[in-house]
Amino acid sequence: MNALSLEIGLRGAGVMLVCLVVANFFAAKRWRYEENLAGAEPMVRQIFHVHCAYILSIMAALALLCLGWPQLLMDGRMGRVLCGFFGLFWGSRVWVQLAYYDRQTRRENRGWDILFISVFATLSAMFTLTALFP
Amino acid sequence: MKDLLQTGLLIGGGSLVALSIASFWIPKALGWREKLAGLTPLMRELWWTYSIYVWSSHVFFAVLALGFGDWLMGGSGSAIAMCTFMLLWWSVRLWLQFFGFDLSEIEGSAANRVAKHLLTLLFIGLVVLYAGLLAWNTGWLPPGGPR
Repeated sequence: MNALSLEIGLRGAGVMLVCLVVANFFAAKRWRYEENLAGAEPMVRQIFHVHCAYILSIMAALALLCLGWPQLLMDGRMGRVLCGFFGLFWGSRVWVQLAYYDRQTRRENRGWDILFISVFATLSAMFTLTALFP
Repeated sequence: MKDLLQTGLLIGGGSLVALSIASFWIPKALGWREKLAGLTPLMRELWWTYSIYVWSSHVFFAVLALGFGDWLMGGSGSAIAMCTFMLLWWSVRLWLQFFGFDLSEIEGSAANRVAKHLLTLLFIGLVVLYAGLLAWNTGWLPPGGPR
């Protein structure tokens, strides 16, 4: 793998991340976050919204970096550390999907389940490869 | 100024480690288990997933501050981008601390009051630290930044 193909891969990861950010807004509607949280105490609702927004901001910032400045992720020790972190971040997300999320819900939405697992695995592989790239 | 920022990074990194460790007590202190019991399984799973990922981000920020301070002060484009991101992250969190969260339901014990003030102090400190680092990396701070 050369630097050019790695850069193209990172830009592809950026596109996937943009899609994930957009998908989160649809997920909020699909899984009726508001109705499901309506009975919860205000603090619980607020913490959920805050965590959700912060995770989205991480994905959006990473997308921006991948699409606009992929070379920053490929250069130097820090780029490797950042990519290593996101390799773990997305790798663990595959594990969360497989081991933690409700099996019945996943079975009922198998197509989406496979799509998201594939996206998370691809992102993990892409960032891990960038971290290891000489 | 460089020495001051380096010290700030050590204190900031140490505080983030403390925050990450203290975070293990937050679910108990705020009674998350009982409060989340009424949610659907998926919402509960999402809750814990988001919480753990936010926590892991704090751990990563601590690693950056304690292990990669030179890089964070190196003036590179990636250092500027990272400092900007962390400045935004903590600025929003500070804003939420004052104007976002409805803390009325939390028991007003002395321990909770101390924890709240310590958290506020931490967020203010982190905002100042990353604003300082950003200013340093962009050359706005004397003696002219790293370049």
